Amino acid sequence: MIAPAAEQPFALFVPDPDLALLREKLALARLPDELDGAGWDYGVPLADVRRLVARWRDGFDWRAAEEAINRDLPQFTRDVEVEGFGTLNVHYVHRRSARENAVPLLFVHGWPGSFLEVRKLLPLLTADVPDQPSFHVVALSLPGFGFSEAPKKGGFVHKQYGELANKLMISLGYDAYVVQGGDWGHYIAGSLATYYAHTHVKGWLSNYPHAQPPKLSKSPWLWLTDLVTPYSEREKEGWARTKEFRARGSGYSHEQATQPQTVGYSLGDSPVGLLGWIYEKLVRWTNGYRWEDDEVLEWVSVYWFSRAGPAASVRIYLEMTNRFERRAVDGIEWTSIPLGFSLFAKELNQVPRKWLRTLGNVVFESEHEHGGHFAAHEEPEALASDIRRMFGKGGPGFGVVPGKDGYV
Amino acid sequence: MGSWAKPFTVQVSDADLELLHKKLELATFPDELEGAGWDYGAPLADVKRITEYWRDKFDWRKTEETINQLPQFTTEIEVEGHGSLNIHFVHQKSAAENAIPLLFVHGWPGSFLEVRKLLPILTAASPDQPSFHVVAPSLPGFGFSEAPTKPGFGGYQHAEVLNKLMLSLGYNEYVYQAGDLGHVLGVYVANAYGHKHLKAWHTNMPTYRAPTFWSNPLLILEIFTNKAVSQTLEQASRTWKKGGGYYMVQTTVPQTLAYSFADSPDGLLAWIYEKLARIVDDYHWTEDEVLEWISIYWFSRAGPGANVRIYYELTGGNKHDMFEGTKWTSVPLGTSYFPKEPIRFPKSWACLIGKVVFQAEHDKGGHFAAHEQPEKLAGDLRMMFGKGGPAYGIVPGKDGYA
Repeated sequence: MIAPAAEQPFALFVPDPDLALLREKLALARLPDELDGAGWDYGVPLADVRRLVARWRDGFDWRAAEEAINRDLPQFTRDVEVEGFGTLNVHYVHRRSARENAVPLLFVHGWPGSFLEVRKLLPLLTADVPDQPSFHVVALSLPGFGFSEAPKKGGFVHKQYGELANKLMISLGYDAYVVQGGDWGHYIAGSLATYYAHTHVKGWLSNYPHAQPPKLSKSPWLWLTDLVTPYSEREKEGWARTKEFRARGSGYSHEQATQPQTVGYSLGDSPVGLLGWIYEKLVRWTNGYRWEDDEVLEWVSVYWFSRAGPAASVRIYLEMTNRFERRAVDGIEWTSIPLGFSLFAKELNQVPRKWLRTLGNVVFESEHEHGGHFAAHEEPEALASDIRRMFGKGGPGFGVVPGKDGYV
Repeated sequence: MGSWAKPFTVQVSDADLELLHKKLELATFPDELEGAGWDYGAPLADVKRITEYWRDKFDWRKTEETINQLPQFTTEIEVEGHGSLNIHFVHQKSAAENAIPLLFVHGWPGSFLEVRKLLPILTAASPDQPSFHVVAPSLPGFGFSEAPTKPGFGGYQHAEVLNKLMLSLGYNEYVYQAGDLGHVLGVYVANAYGHKHLKAWHTNMPTYRAPTFWSNPLLILEIFTNKAVSQTLEQASRTWKKGGGYYMVQTTVPQTLAYSFADSPDGLLAWIYEKLARIVDDYHWTEDEVLEWISIYWFSRAGPGANVRIYYELTGGNKHDMFEGTKWTSVPLGTSYFPKEPIRFPKSWACLIGKVVFQAEHDKGGHFAAHEQPEKLAGDLRMMFGKGGPAYGIVPGKDGYA
């Protein structure tokens, strides 16, 4: 049962001195030059950064953005104890459906995302529409992101993220729930499944199809079928895209997984540096999405004004990959709870479909001709539709949460 | 001599100095995990300490004066397809008329300053040692040289600049010493101007592309039979994993990185200091020393964002290694191995680079050999080019003796 009285409402309000400091730094911004005709070949184009910096300094109204965030996203904070790490104060969004028996769903963002990514999904998922399942939605800021506290020591990995997220859900009265995530949200959803499948986590839907190839020792049948079955055109394209991303799009990931503190200094000291670093992903990882300048600045501002500072957010790469010694996905164990994938056209990591079955009991795969990495933000209707189809009547995840099938 | 070279002194504008100080006043530091040490990157205590020193104590004007004790010049060098670049360089002649012309080329995150300790040793005239006329440029986009403005300024373009620089100074034939990117460019210079202009060269970072079974079966076999070789390769792989992040970023998105470098002094400091501190051998950088090096980047003519483009240009944006388009050459090559050089190749692979005529191994020294162990490095050059050495008299009429 819920104890709404126990929830601590949170109104985002950045103190004036922080706003002033940002403005001062922007006033002192020093930009590099650029090669003629560079376009996007060498990284973010200078013209984009120049324009965005000018807007951030002179036109972007953070207070108005703050107001809208507070209006659209009911936010709270809660202390959650994590074994070995003490208590972390967690910031989260929580909106219940009008339907009592809506399906509790935890939405988990990634990097460089945030709790803002749930914004467009909220009204769609919590809607009370006949013949459609409805959801109670919780979207946390991961520790070290947004307005959640960061862990103070190293070693905060799959188990700890799982523990924290699970405890949060339980504390809100959601003893059983489903999970949706992409990017780090995929790995954390997988971690939740690994540690709490059946007991608390009843199903998960990922929009980030990353998995390792099947191993002969672990899943011989899968290994064999993967070996002999030819890949579809789409799978081949996806794999080529994956290789390209790993060879030429993952510098940030290698650096963040090995020297997060080093890159953290510029991310925390220079709003321009932070903007460049994040904006590059916002554009490169989306699929024809037209970012508005203020939209970009809102995303970057959440990093700039984050409770733990932007440097804290990149440590997840080092922790979850054990200093680049393994793939984060290695921390996920196969479980039999329903697992679904929303497959958007220009996602970065697109492994052959059979590989996904090493992560769990894949019962749902939905292919899209549009969309990219930030599915919830780019294609909220499509993602919401997938969530409904997976967990709604006739779907492979229907009724997984006892007594909360999403209908009246 | 070089009729077109103009004397140069470093003179950072007051406005630039003021902007730096304003930024330092506003410097914002991240937190750090308990007991992080060096496990997550440059430690907070170090970066904070050095930044605060930069803000409160570091005297750039005094440093500038000391730097200007180095004889510096600029000259226009035309590069095919890229117009004319104004190139900054140090040039010190020996008193010995027949000193050997030597081109010293820095790397990243180094600079022309790396030649500083070598200069007095190499240019000293003596009946017992060969001496050298030393030229040490700032690579295009580094230090006080102009940067290229168009894409495609690759290895052969850099080689063209380097060769033309020497020719413009009247050094039609010369030798070359380098490590890091300077070594990589040495391969290009040897390929393009070997024998004709470049008579011999020396590297303190002897690497090249790895052998394949088809090209060098014996070297591949050796990996399985020789423990020292396999250990070197394992270590190289570990070093790559832990320390290669900067390379992956710089070869693929140098412009994205440029925004941080240009705008955040302590951001630039941390990125570079992490390397300075880690890849030396028991070398204790003073704050002044670190800040002098960083300042060359901060105040560089083309801005701090330009220098990292070389990583992109040399690798086609990480489509291939840095040696694309080069081959083994028969230009006599000397190699020096310093124990803490992180980018190691098995010694038996040095023959893949060029015709190895000289090899030295040391028990102390790291990546920045010229800066950490100038005596040892100079000693190697004297041995290689001196009387009885394998490259003695390689530059006709300039054997280096008074």
